[in-house]
Amino acid sequence: MRPSPEIAFFPEASFGAALNCVGIAQELQKLGATPVFICHPGFTGVFAEYGFKEFHLPESPSSSDESIADYWQDFTNTHVPHFNLDPLAQLDTYVEPTWKAIVDTAIAVEDDLARLLAQIRPDAVVLDNVIMFPAIARAGCPWIRIVSCAETEIPDPAVPPYLSGLAPENKAEAAAYSEAYETVTAAVHRRYNSFRKKQGLPPLPAPLFLENSPVLNLLLAPSVVRYERKTPLPEDRFVFLEGCVRHESHFEMPRLPVSDGPLVYVGFGSLGAVDTGMMKRMIDVFEGIQARFLVNVGAMSEAYERVPDNVHLGSWFPQPSVIEQADLVIHHGGNNTFCEALFHGVPSLVLPYCWDGHDNAQRAETVEVGRHINRANWTADSLRSAIIETLTDTAMRQKLKKVSGKMQQNRGTEQAARKILGALNGNSIAP
Amino acid sequence: MPEPRKKVRQNHLTLAQKILSVALDQGLRKGDHLPEQSFSDACGVSRTPIRSAFRLLEERDILEWRADEGYFLALDSAEDVSMTIRALEDAEHSIAHQILSDRAERRIGAVQSASALMRRYKAPRTAVLNALKILSNDGLVRQLPGRAWAFQPMIDSPDAIEESLDFRITMERQAVLAPDFVLDSQRAGLLREQMNSFLNTPQGGVTPAGFRRIDIEFHTLVAECSGNRFLRGSLTAHHRLRQASQKIAPSPEFRLRQAMIEHLEILDSLERKQFELAADQLVVHLRRSRIRKPQAANRGIPPLAKGPRP
Repeated sequence: MRPSPEIAFFPEASFGAALNCVGIAQELQKLGATPVFICHPGFTGVFAEYGFKEFHLPESPSSSDESIADYWQDFTNTHVPHFNLDPLAQLDTYVEPTWKAIVDTAIAVEDDLARLLAQIRPDAVVLDNVIMFPAIARAGCPWIRIVSCAETEIPDPAVPPYLSGLAPENKAEAAAYSEAYETVTAAVHRRYNSFRKKQGLPPLPAPLFLENSPVLNLLLAPSVVRYERKTPLPEDRFVFLEGCVRHESHFEMPRLPVSDGPLVYVGFGSLGAVDTGMMKRMIDVFEGIQARFLVNVGAMSEAYERVPDNVHLGSWFPQPSVIEQADLVIHHGGNNTFCEALFHGVPSLVLPYCWDGHDNAQRAETVEVGRHINRANWTADSLRSAIIETLTDTAMRQKLKKVSGKMQQNRGTEQAARKILGALNGNSIAP
Repeated sequence: MPEPRKKVRQNHLTLAQKILSVALDQGLRKGDHLPEQSFSDACGVSRTPIRSAFRLLEERDILEWRADEGYFLALDSAEDVSMTIRALEDAEHSIAHQILSDRAERRIGAVQSASALMRRYKAPRTAVLNALKILSNDGLVRQLPGRAWAFQPMIDSPDAIEESLDFRITMERQAVLAPDFVLDSQRAGLLREQMNSFLNTPQGGVTPAGFRRIDIEFHTLVAECSGNRFLRGSLTAHHRLRQASQKIAPSPEFRLRQAMIEHLEILDSLERKQFELAADQLVVHLRRSRIRKPQAANRGIPPLAKGPRP
């Protein structure tokens, strides 16, 4: 191993995973390691702006800005209506097509990934994804798994099924959901296993697409939202992190004509931002509330013609710094955003539309750190009431203050960085 | 001829903003001393106007006067200081600034009448017309036949930010390469001090607002030193437009520092009259600043590089 071990991060092509890895990489750098990033096309420069070297997977020869824009247009037209369906109904409409796309990506990048890993020759690979890439298993160095989705991604009989949005006590619904999930994903799972076989990896049991690392697995699951597992995960290989919040530039509040009132941050991820119809309905509600709203509209800022005096729209926010200043976060249940809100002791209003957002919405409501709103049937009155009630819920705020204190004392980024280096040095990783 | 009282006060307000920006860059905190001479050097003016600006800041409880000792910062944090700088900016061009800011935020439409603006800002017609005149002089609005006023395109979306950088890559390079480019060495020297002070700020202490102020001042200097009058005019108007936009997302600290080092390298080349090199460095600097995040990303899907088509 080099004196400054080179750690290659390979986050999936989503902001949550990418920025979660940035937080850990920042800490690894402080500890003397050299983090580098393997980037999906489109993320070029995102990690370099934080000072990390990037290695790029090439774009597919058939993809151009034009064709990707068409793809997204089709995706939006097809899936925005599905976002209002319940998790069971999303299995056919959203989950299965998404798994197909994920497997396609894994197959497509395999050779290029192997080539990049041979070029980098890292001391370890950190994979923050939902699927295994055989090139990583064959890279000749330890690999570490980060579960930056909800804890439900690693199954257990006492934990609700992944993406189901169910509570642990809903045993009957859980059984039905799990059965439906396996049925729906069976074909794509067989295809993935056949790809693994060709690459010399053993098959995975259905419905798993990613095995646990034999060395170290880091779960982004603060203690307040953790489940009591029937079979506890072995402490020598599994570490739960109290959030994973990166250092960001300080966010300076823009000037708003309305300059007082509590501050509410609204972000549904770059995917959620494509539903401009829902966002406009929400902004109409915000206008009548005595509060200031920062709304992340992603790529869609051109779609908004009239912005109220108490609302500021942005296409990008240094989220940890914004949430630190906020009194409420309205979000989609993305695990990174949820954990950032917990880290800063800010309550969440969760309107999930897909994937583990459903799981986090259920969990936020159950452990009383936020509220779950069904995105399909809210009204102006119900949303207004939920915002005002959450802003004035002192019991929730007091609980969150304790949660935040604990998370800030045990920073997940520092803990993850130490564990990664410990695993490389062959030390025990037990907490 | 003596300057009218209002104009003098305006100059003091501008200088007061500059003093606070320097204090911010130097990381001064509550209770820290502001020596007249060092602020006179940093702001490039004599001690008399510095003293007047200090008095103005004292009137607003931003500085504290102690007999025989001088002026001391009375604000608690860097955030308070930057908020105060903004408040001073607002006082400077209140209605014009509000109009421009509201348009950039899409609170008001692209075509406005003076009456509608009078109602929105509860201001007399003369005040609104004066504000429109200020904006018109900067090329930010133009009067249409009749009573309506139309705004120029604003830097208010990711695509507009990208087009702004495309425009600058072409024009700023030409501004440097145009014959008779003459660097204003005094302003360049002051800017260099501010850039060094920014870079000397301890890790975690720099602010995007501090960067933005120096960045706009530096690129405006490059434009104003150009030998080509049309490039000069277009670029300075464009930098005023940048100043009005609140949509340009802050970069991580690493990139802010890297970009500041690039500014210094460009200044070095300009001072050595290596204009070809400076022009190339400007292009590299702007291309690096042009890196944009994917507009949308989701697992299994190629990230969307550009916003949706109009």
